[in-house]
Amino acid sequence: MAVAARDINSIGGLDAQSVRQDFPLLCRAPLAQGLHYLDNAATTHKPQVVIDAITDCYSGYSGPIHRGLYPLAEEATRRFENARLRLAAFLGAASADELVFTRSATEAINMVAWGWARERLQPGDRIWVSRMEHHANYLPWQRICRDRGAELRIIELDEDGCLDLAGSPELFAPQTRMIALCQVSNVLGVENPLRELCATARAHDIPVLVDAAQGVSHLPLDVSVLGCDFLACSAHKMYGPSGIGLLYGRAQRLAEMDPLLLGGGMVDEVGEGTADSTWTGVPARFEAGSPNLAGAVAFAAAADYLQELDLDRIHAHLRMLTSAAAEALTELPGLRLLPRAETPRSAILSFTLDAVHPHDLAQVAGEQGVAIRAGHHCAQPLMRSLGLMATARASFGVYNDMGDVEALVRAVDSARRLFL
Amino acid sequence: MVDRSLYKETLLRHYRHPHNKCEGELKGADIVRRGDNPRCGDEIEVGLYLHDGHLAQVKFRGRGCSVCIASSSMMTEAAQGRSAKEARQLCADMQAWFQTGDGGELTDPPEDLQALSAVREYPARRRCVLLSWEAFDDALRSI
Repeated sequence: MAVAARDINSIGGLDAQSVRQDFPLLCRAPLAQGLHYLDNAATTHKPQVVIDAITDCYSGYSGPIHRGLYPLAEEATRRFENARLRLAAFLGAASADELVFTRSATEAINMVAWGWARERLQPGDRIWVSRMEHHANYLPWQRICRDRGAELRIIELDEDGCLDLAGSPELFAPQTRMIALCQVSNVLGVENPLRELCATARAHDIPVLVDAAQGVSHLPLDVSVLGCDFLACSAHKMYGPSGIGLLYGRAQRLAEMDPLLLGGGMVDEVGEGTADSTWTGVPARFEAGSPNLAGAVAFAAAADYLQELDLDRIHAHLRMLTSAAAEALTELPGLRLLPRAETPRSAILSFTLDAVHPHDLAQVAGEQGVAIRAGHHCAQPLMRSLGLMATARASFGVYNDMGDVEALVRAVDSARRLFL
Repeated sequence: MVDRSLYKETLLRHYRHPHNKCEGELKGADIVRRGDNPRCGDEIEVGLYLHDGHLAQVKFRGRGCSVCIASSSMMTEAAQGRSAKEARQLCADMQAWFQTGDGGELTDPPEDLQALSAVREYPARRRCVLLSWEAFDDALRSI
């Protein structure tokens, strides 16, 4: 397959082969022998600094947070709040208090849907999402609209898979109570023009939630510039640990939001009987139960790691790999890139191959050490509009290089030949 | 080295040239049942053609991956001529064979079904094998 030479590996200034040395699983795990890991949109691997952060926590300063009056507990609390501070800086938040630790991006979106939007919805109101949303940024809105007699509106996509804003003239109408959009499609890889959209929404006093699960790992992000009201992301898709995510909310919005999870650490005074209780301040109000200290410090370590690699360089590197893969794959007979070859993508691309089921394609690739994803990618509304039930998806990370692109193209071609 | 590949020649042969597969309706079938796997979009309909309490023929239609289509094709071959009771036993054996993942052997296994053995190594694909068998079992229960 004609894929550009390996010497373009370092275009964009990122030396993937050296970056790869930071990831012990990729370098040493028996299951990673000969592995070309191209399933980064599902989850990313962890650099040594993230693993060390977890080990250091449990072997050095693990203790109760906001609950103890002895030095170990104070150190645990300090480290936890320091992690929040570093992540707030990473996202460009005005204050660390605008950042809530959650279990996942999914939980963060649900918190906003149930704790902020639901009470404000009246029959006839509208919430807008797009055709390309992951189920996590679709189902919570669908449910609260159903419950409140509101309407879920969809921003459709143009032929390139980009948001068709001209086709949604009522997006900023007075009935709109919320716009919830992904930063990057987890299927198509397109980046949404959120900055302009947030500015217009702000002028109409419409809050915007950004699902940044797929963007935060490779797009430079500053919420103060972006101008969103809420933003959700997950650590494990940005080289951090699993089981922790975050919700950014503008101070005013978080102050308006109701806590969903009630319990320890989020209450000031518990009323008698059925009397009302009073909640403690933001963000602790939204973090009931003992916090995930090791997760938080490792999450912050992942953010530091990305900043050190430089998100502009990461972005350029992943765009280069994605373009090279798209170009080489389209040369294969029967291969269709979605929604079409010209679609502008970063880091993610989906495709189908005539007469080969995506699961067979992914299985054949897997047998050759190329890890890609097949299925509906938790985006059934998008699949329906594409007239498909499933696609194959390759997604790139900081440790991928042109060798991985070549392996992908070889694997797809061998699947094509096998099922001829 | 053991060949762990899923794609044995027999499986590929049944996928490329499936037996008893209809492109249109399952015309004249006595019983028709359907199986869906929304996760990958596979849909299979199985039709039974009965004669004197035996399966004169079993046909199928639908779409699926190679494992799903090959398994459906092998199933229709294996079922032909059996009584409903025998066919239900075959379904139960197939279920057991795949649930356990090891151990359990098929009683009187039609030779081609052995080609599916490799799929037992891949739990994520078991549903692809069993989709048509579940629809078949469902149809047999209504006799």
